[in-house]
Amino acid sequence: MTAAQWLFLAGFTLVNVAVAATVVAVVASARQLDGGARVTRSFLSRLGRLPTERSEANRWAFYAHRVSGVGIFAFLALHILDVSLYAVSPTRFDEVHELYSTPLMRLFECLLLLALLYHALNGLRVVAIDLFDMGPRSAGRLLNGVVVVTVLATAVGSAVILTPVFNGGV
Amino acid sequence: MLVDVAPSRPRRLRPRAGYVTIRVTGVMLAVLALGHFATTHVVNDVADTGSSFIAQRWATGLWVTWDAMMLATALLHGAAGLSVLIRDYRSSRRSQGRWIAGVAGGSFVLFLIGAATLMYSALGGR
Repeated sequence: MTAAQWLFLAGFTLVNVAVAATVVAVVASARQLDGGARVTRSFLSRLGRLPTERSEANRWAFYAHRVSGVGIFAFLALHILDVSLYAVSPTRFDEVHELYSTPLMRLFECLLLLALLYHALNGLRVVAIDLFDMGPRSAGRLLNGVVVVTVLATAVGSAVILTPVFNGGV
Repeated sequence: MLVDVAPSRPRRLRPRAGYVTIRVTGVMLAVLALGHFATTHVVNDVADTGSSFIAQRWATGLWVTWDAMMLATALLHGAAGLSVLIRDYRSSRRSQGRWIAGVAGGSFVLFLIGAATLMYSALGGR
C-alpha cells in the first residue's frame, strides 16, 4: 500500500463517518418529533413501523433521501480529490484508482449505485409532486414505482459490476 | 402578561433560491451523474477507467463539457441540500450560519480543485 492509497482509504473512512453521523442526526430528529426525550423501547418500536401505511412510506422515503444524499455528497468530495491526482501525476492517480477495482470497493460501488438511483428517482418524484400538484395517493403509487425501478436497476448494475469478482478477474 | 406576537422579519429570499437550485440541478444531475456512473462502471469496467481512459475522454469536448457541468451542478446541489439539513438539525441561527459557511467554503474549494484539474488536463497539460 502506497501513501496515496492510505490517504484514499482515510478519506473513504470519513465518507462512512459522514453517513453514520447523518443517520444519527435523522434518528435524533425523529426522536424529537415522534418520541420522547430518551431512546426507549416504545420509541424504537414507533421508529420501526413498517412502511405499509402510505404516510409511513413517505417518512421512510424522506429519511432514505437524506442519508443517501449526504453519502453521495461525501463520496463526491473524495472523488473530486482522487481525480485531481490525475493532474498532479497520472501514475499516482492510477495507484489510487487501482483500489476502485478491488472486491470491497466494487461492493461499495453497488451501494453507491443504489444510493444514486434511489436519490435521483425519488428526487424526480418530489419534483413531480410539486409540479403536478399530486395528492398522497398518486405520490404513494409513484414511490412504489421508484422502489421497484431502483431495486431492479441496482440488481442489473451490481451484476455487471461484480462479474469480474466472480470470474476471478480481480 | 404581554406576549410579543409581532410577525418576524420578512422571509429571506435565500431558502427559496435554495429550493429552486436543488430542483433544477437535481433534474440535470439525474442525467449527468447517472450517465457518468453508467459509462464508468457499467458500459466500461471500472478496472479499465484509469489514466489512459481519462486522457482519451478529456480529449473530447463533449466529455469535458459533461464533466464541467457535472462538477458545478453536483457541488451546487450538494451544498444547497446540506444547507437544508443544517437548517433542520442545528437549532441556533449562529450555529446554522457557521455550518452553512463551512459547507459553502468547502464546496467552493472542491470546485476550484475540480475546475483546475479539468482545465489543466483538457488544455493539454497532461
